[in-house]
Amino acid sequence: MTSTPLRPFARRLWTETKAAALAALWISLLAFPLMILKINNLTGALDPQWSRLPKLAVAVFLGAYLWRFLLRRRSFSAVSKVVAEAGGPPPAGPRPTWVDLIMKTRRRKPLLGLVLAALLVLPFFASPYVVNVMITALIYVTLGLGLNIVVGVSGLLNLGYVAFYAMGAYVYALLGHYFGLGFWLCLPLGALSATVMGLLLGLPIIRLNGDYLAIVTLSFGEIMRLVLTNLGVTRGPRGIPNIKPPGFFGVDLNGAPKAFLMRTVDLSPAMDLNKILIYLIILALVALTVVCVFRLENSRLGRACLALREDEVACQAMGVNRTRAKLTAFALGSTWAGLAGVVFASQITFINPSSFTFMQSVMILSIVVLGGMGSIPGVIIGAVVLILLPEQLRFFSNYRMLIFGALMVMMMIFRPGGLIQSAREVYRHQPAGGGSNDGSSRAADGDTGHRPEKQAERRPAHA
Amino acid sequence: MPMLELVEVHAAYGNIEALKGVSMVVEAGEIIALLGANGAGKTTALSAVCGLVPPKSGRIVFEDLDVRGLKTETLVKKGLIMVPEGRRIFPALTVMENLRMGAYLRRDKPGVAQDLEYIMNLFPILAARAKQSGGTLSGGEQQMLAISRALMGRPRMLLLDEPSLGLAPLVVRSIFEVIKKINSEQKTTILLVEQNANLALMLAHRAYIMTTGLITLSGPAADLFKDENVRQAYLGG
Repeated sequence: MTSTPLRPFARRLWTETKAAALAALWISLLAFPLMILKINNLTGALDPQWSRLPKLAVAVFLGAYLWRFLLRRRSFSAVSKVVAEAGGPPPAGPRPTWVDLIMKTRRRKPLLGLVLAALLVLPFFASPYVVNVMITALIYVTLGLGLNIVVGVSGLLNLGYVAFYAMGAYVYALLGHYFGLGFWLCLPLGALSATVMGLLLGLPIIRLNGDYLAIVTLSFGEIMRLVLTNLGVTRGPRGIPNIKPPGFFGVDLNGAPKAFLMRTVDLSPAMDLNKILIYLIILALVALTVVCVFRLENSRLGRACLALREDEVACQAMGVNRTRAKLTAFALGSTWAGLAGVVFASQITFINPSSFTFMQSVMILSIVVLGGMGSIPGVIIGAVVLILLPEQLRFFSNYRMLIFGALMVMMMIFRPGGLIQSAREVYRHQPAGGGSNDGSSRAADGDTGHRPEKQAERRPAHA
Repeated sequence: MPMLELVEVHAAYGNIEALKGVSMVVEAGEIIALLGANGAGKTTALSAVCGLVPPKSGRIVFEDLDVRGLKTETLVKKGLIMVPEGRRIFPALTVMENLRMGAYLRRDKPGVAQDLEYIMNLFPILAARAKQSGGTLSGGEQQMLAISRALMGRPRMLLLDEPSLGLAPLVVRSIFEVIKKINSEQKTTILLVEQNANLALMLAHRAYIMTTGLITLSGPAADLFKDENVRQAYLGG
């Protein structure tokens, strides 16, 4: 009799062990060619690293245990949440997360000012490497925010966003190469040409929805890359070298001003003043983008796009011109890619088509999804994490993409709404009640006003 | 001149004919009920009026405008606004944003503010819920929101598709009260599609009864209410 309460536990333990062992076996098989089979570089002979196999198996076994434990805990907390909603013990209010604490604090404005000030002075103290990485991160913030207009706000899945980015970069590179046009003239030109391309591409395809739009945009991104590779004007894969950095009122900062500063204030010769200027430009662009996207989301067009994603028929009944609203959002999103492209070209001074592969589009999309669709702070943090994390993971060299992938999978399981969920998305992810817009079965009683205010105002509850 | 006139309207989904020659007239300021069983073609008739389903033949005239071939947004601009079946509010948008969507085509800010105030008086509960997302409202509140959203477009004619769907009798009654109020206060012409014939006949001035794509009966609501055939077919004896 004493063994009965133990039996479920033992059975549980057995199934968990079995699952973990299976995972270990499976991963060992999968990773066999990558981890075990090695070629000795000196002799050229096969030199299998057998000692790694048990290590790998044990690590995966333990990892699988932990993983399943976390998953169980997650589903359990979801269940208890539903129970609490169904009129059980009242929940102790929404648990504020660190994000809420930052976003909701009354000292938000001074805090933001402080962050901005820190970002402004950063390049004057940081190493050129850090400045360069930060420029890349900020370019991706711009790209993420731009794609967010298309994907996050309007729900149009654009898998060829990189084409518009390439457009901006090549407009600057080509105009500079052949006509000697400067950065400041090309910045609006690059943005404009990306917008026009967005309009031209959008016009025939904007009526497609979901998967079809994704396929067409994906193909367009590839077409753009192939055209750039094979066109004579773009010099194909040889790319365009010696792209000029932006001038500061027509002066090359790395010329006379740098020499002057080195003499007077003992400026380090390693300091790249042009890079600092680019950094400040892209920082200003990010600020501009944030303001624009914020205004857009709360504008007539932004509301229409959000509403279109929810219910097209109801939108029509409100008098929304579907095609025009979607097309505007699509082209507006492309504009930011053009801007970012011009800055990118001036940053790396050499571009060729291999900078604009499908992987780039995926990366930008990951930023939007990971950060939180439709959420501005989410996209910013998503970009910073996705660009800086691989840099930090350089230490793990070969395995960094592996770790990166694992992190992405975990994110999607534990925070499906993104790092910082858009406040609007709250309703959708509630397990109880459902996102159906026909609430008749749930609220057939038609009660008017007995439900607690708190329930509706609830911020996303985190597992 | 009638506000809305349908003359021998035919409409079909593929090979299935949903409207087989529907004719009806709505005068300005009236409340008209369009009654009938499931699948009689009531919703199709409404969809044809507001340009969502193109009619195969026949004429639909709103004021002096031939509706055929016009886009829905043009009709909304002209003041012909529909509250779709099943409410179709935007669940992720707040109540206030839902209402602002209703005023999508309007540029007169003071007028919009005025209408917003009128609606908040009409449905005080919406004022209390202004910042909640639409999906968190109860069914009755969602219907109120759907009607209010349509009112934000300042309709001259309101098309209501089954406002009583899935609601408790008490809530239906209060919503019908408001419809009556809108009609008398705003002089909005109302075309009401309903299955709840009892209530609809009490509210409407005149009514049309549809059976399988055809208008089979029409007349003043009070007469239809007393009509023996109607009582048996639609009012439960």
